[in-house]
Amino acid sequence: MKDHRELILIIEDEKNIADFVETVLNSRNYKVIKAYTGKEALSAITSHCPDVILLDLGLPDMDGLDIIKQVREWAETPIVVISARTQEKEKVAALDLGADDYITKPFGTDELMARIRTALRHHDKAKAGNSSEKYQVEGLEIDFGKRLVMLEGQSIHLTQIEYKLITLLAKNAGKVLTYDHIMKEIWGPYAGDDNQILRVNMANIRRKLEKNPAEPKYIFTEVGVGYRMQEDR
Amino acid sequence: MKRLKEFIVTMALLVLATALAYWFYHTTESMTNMAIVYMMATVLISRYTSGYFWGIISCFIGVLGVNFFFTYPFWQIDFTRDGYPATFIGMLVISFITSATTTSMKEQKRLAEERDEMNKKLYESQKKLEVETEKEKMRANLLRAVSHDLRTPLTSMIGSSDLYLEAKDTLKEEEKEGLIQHIREDATWLLHMVENLLSVTRIREGNTKVNKSPEPLEEVVSEGVIRLKKRYPGAEIRTTIPEDFLMVPMDATLVEQVIINLLENALLHSGSTRPIEFTVTKEKDTVLFQVRDHGIGIAEDKLPDLFDGISSERGRGSDSSKGMGIGLSICKSIITAHGGAIEARNHSDGAEFIFTLPLEGEAK
Repeated sequence: MKDHRELILIIEDEKNIADFVETVLNSRNYKVIKAYTGKEALSAITSHCPDVILLDLGLPDMDGLDIIKQVREWAETPIVVISARTQEKEKVAALDLGADDYITKPFGTDELMARIRTALRHHDKAKAGNSSEKYQVEGLEIDFGKRLVMLEGQSIHLTQIEYKLITLLAKNAGKVLTYDHIMKEIWGPYAGDDNQILRVNMANIRRKLEKNPAEPKYIFTEVGVGYRMQEDR
Repeated sequence: MKRLKEFIVTMALLVLATALAYWFYHTTESMTNMAIVYMMATVLISRYTSGYFWGIISCFIGVLGVNFFFTYPFWQIDFTRDGYPATFIGMLVISFITSATTTSMKEQKRLAEERDEMNKKLYESQKKLEVETEKEKMRANLLRAVSHDLRTPLTSMIGSSDLYLEAKDTLKEEEKEGLIQHIREDATWLLHMVENLLSVTRIREGNTKVNKSPEPLEEVVSEGVIRLKKRYPGAEIRTTIPEDFLMVPMDATLVEQVIINLLENALLHSGSTRPIEFTVTKEKDTVLFQVRDHGIGIAEDKLPDLFDGISSERGRGSDSSKGMGIGLSICKSIITAHGGAIEARNHSDGAEFIFTLPLEGEAK
């Protein structure tokens, strides 16, 4: 009988963490292989073709960023980076090199599962080439076809830029998007480094969607990295 | 180069003086002002050249000029006529004195400036030393508190897991659950501690400044509150922020750390489960953050050195303020490095922590 479970590769030199993640993933019905070094990881990726790669950037034999680079030369396998909290620059670098998302140590099992689910889903969508017509979470609904944003049944008026921004985030719901990435997508490749315009637009969207902008329900800030929209189900 | 410049200045002023005197002579037909004009040139030359040299040269040239151009016989040097020696010696002496006075005044001014500069440098290095000492003190306090405080949760974690491994067959389910729960709590506390320690390393080495960049206030506040709620799912916090969009220069990670520390502090040490009020308001040129709990308050005798990182030891016994001191001392160094201020006080119904961040300018 063929095994249809999704295969997840854990690249992590800390055996305790690798074991813990393996246990969690096994219990959620994923298949798991582990690699403790960069070399092992690269050969495991070519021979097993995992569905998702969990990558800790601090490996004994090579820089985790190099693994992302090498994998991205030939494969679109979703990569979720495991990183420590204070290193925003490293996170941004990993995302810019083609990592799909990151999870910050220490993470809970729910968070881990959410990241893997999101990574798999966006990957499948991209492969199938179609994206869903609607984003729906709690009281918020975005109809991409009709270009309509509804909050608790009420239509919300957004400017052109605001609508573009929220669609970009919603289509990548659950996934973190870096400031640079968003700037390039919305304002084009010559937008420059100053992301103040983005911050201001996000603040305006927040005021239109969130009851209390200090405790947002839909759009979350990852300080120093970018924005993440609530995963839809 | 400097010589040449001063030579040009001297010559130019003398030529100018001659021209001016010539003009005077032809319009007023009087010779009384000639010496004055040259003396004025001497004063100016002394003022704009260094040392005595050019001033004295100009005295001589001035005397020669008056004699040559403006006294009988014209266009000739002649000091021999009646009264001439006295006049010209007088003029020379007066020029000498003014030149010397001007030059020495200038010299004194320069010395005074140098002294000021020196004092300023001295003051700066003293200030730097003070900051350095302050930082060293903070580090020492921190280390002491850390080594003191880390052992407790680690002991408990090792003990609990040992017990679990040795006696898992005889322990009841809820006992096992309790052990694991304790391990989790202690680990969470350790994590909190480690994050605080990491924050300290982010404050730039060698001085107590931080890397500021303008950040949207609401994003930093919300991320802080969300992260705290993730750690304490039951926490009730009422957050209020200004209506207007506001960018505040700060190191966002550090300020978030302060927010989390103060909220956690209120949560764990107020001895109350009533909601915490977290209010952020814009003042004239600062932003004011206020964390207010409705609990037992802070013992008055602890207030003065609450932020020194040693209060945790004093508060020991009840164990309720475990690690609180370190968190607060880190808050203080973060806020101070931002050029803001932090303080704690009691209100009628609990404790209140307040800190400010300046809206503009670099951290001092």
